[in-house]
Amino acid sequence: MRKTIDSIIETIIFICGILSIVFVVMIFGFLLKEGFAFFKEFGVISFITGKLWYPTSDPAKFGILSLIIGSLLVTAGACVIAVPIGIMSALYISEIAPSGVKDVLKSCVELMAAVPSVVIGFVGMVTFVPLVRAVFDIPTGLTAFSGSVMLAFMAMPTIVTISEDAIRSVPWSYKEGALALGATKWQAIRRIVLKAAMPGIIAAIMLGIGRVVGETMAVMMITGNAAHIPHSIFEPVRTMTATIAAEMGETVRGGMHYRSLFAIGLVLFVITFIVNFIADLFLGKSKK
Amino acid sequence: MDKIKVEDLNCFYGGQRVLESLNINVIKNEILTIIGPANSGKTTFLRTLNRMNDLDANYSRKGSVFLDEDNIFHMNMEKLRRRVGMLFAMPIPLPMTIYENIVYAPKRLGIANKKSDQDAVVEQALKDASLWNEVKDRLDSSAMKLSGGQQQRLCIARILAINPEVILFDEPSSGLDPISTAKVEESMIELKKKYTIVLVTNNVKQASRVGDRTAFFLMGKLIEIDKTGTMFVSPKQKQTEDYITGRFG
Repeated sequence: MRKTIDSIIETIIFICGILSIVFVVMIFGFLLKEGFAFFKEFGVISFITGKLWYPTSDPAKFGILSLIIGSLLVTAGACVIAVPIGIMSALYISEIAPSGVKDVLKSCVELMAAVPSVVIGFVGMVTFVPLVRAVFDIPTGLTAFSGSVMLAFMAMPTIVTISEDAIRSVPWSYKEGALALGATKWQAIRRIVLKAAMPGIIAAIMLGIGRVVGETMAVMMITGNAAHIPHSIFEPVRTMTATIAAEMGETVRGGMHYRSLFAIGLVLFVITFIVNFIADLFLGKSKK
Repeated sequence: MDKIKVEDLNCFYGGQRVLESLNINVIKNEILTIIGPANSGKTTFLRTLNRMNDLDANYSRKGSVFLDEDNIFHMNMEKLRRRVGMLFAMPIPLPMTIYENIVYAPKRLGIANKKSDQDAVVEQALKDASLWNEVKDRLDSSAMKLSGGQQQRLCIARILAINPEVILFDEPSSGLDPISTAKVEESMIELKKKYTIVLVTNNVKQASRVGDRTAFFLMGKLIEIDKTGTMFVSPKQKQTEDYITGRFG
């Protein structure tokens, strides 16, 4: 009897354990099925390099180059803003802040991670977007730049918390060793602490990027959603995620348009997979 | 001649006094060993000498410590640590290659800017720490791959590279096997020709092997200081005798 209960529990735990694998495989399989059906008709190259996205015209054009560029532009912009600020704030929290400030800061950063993205999008739309329009004197504030800034807010908690972990796990003795050799506090941080924490920090950046690439709601609300290739960051762009979210409700199930959205999902999946994979590589390295 | 002179030093952690009106001197080119049980204040004393304790917000102190003629509490901390090097209990190579570990400080201090100077510094320091023969063919491999004893000698070499006047050893062999310990002790005796050494150790026998003079600390007070030979043969205080004969501690 006890043996039976034991093996039942073991089975349940096993099923729970492999559930996430099953889900990933199923999602990937589903994306592949629909995506490949699309690629067979339209072709991968013309899909990725096509400049025009007119899914409902006749004949329909399914070129997602502008969407890829839109996603990359917004992501790159967010990184340029979030990475330096994130790392410096992680440094401040772990190395410089007095303990009272440190606790408050850490909870605030964690709270920031909990803000739903639609709220960030909404607040950005009513406050930041008009500001951008006025300051840069452009026809609309719904631009890649606005999206980058708002997404930077979203990537920052990830970058700060994980880099802070990495910096804090650098043995105190490294720093002490450097200080005992006559290094100043800043020299010890820069040459020793940052260097030793670098794999963890890179992993943090990658996870932050992963979050930004996959973000949908905020970018849909702020970036203007114009599917054309932008010439500067002060023009509206449309990202891959926003395209899927905006158009999925209006497609005919099983049609070309429907399948093309799955194909976009597949491209996104591949991109986030690569980013996460790189993050894992560095995280594994920092554990050693 | 006194290299270090400590006058009425009191140290506190939080509100608690861990060193009480300490007066002690370190003579030039001697090895002064400091023994005592846990919580005797010996490590606090050592870490006061190069002001490592100043990093701790809970720590405060009164009194003065003179290095030659200069009060170390009025000195620039980085300059002080260049003159007073420290070796920690656990060997802590920095996460870089053997070569970089040694040139790290000299490069930063501007002592060795040319590659040829750096090569010379690395070779001399490793030879003085008697590590050169073991690592000369793999200077570019990571210092983390060395054995514990080699790492500790690398740390000694790293200190020698900045050519300090005083070297503080904080239980340098607590993590080492007897053979590595013997090597570290050998290099200490070799080093006192050029440097002044203060050694804190939990190992009473080590104190008797390498110390010129020995000081016994208990509960934050200096109980006794004397020539090592004298102290180990005929200690003046009962507490000292109990400790070195192993009756407590």
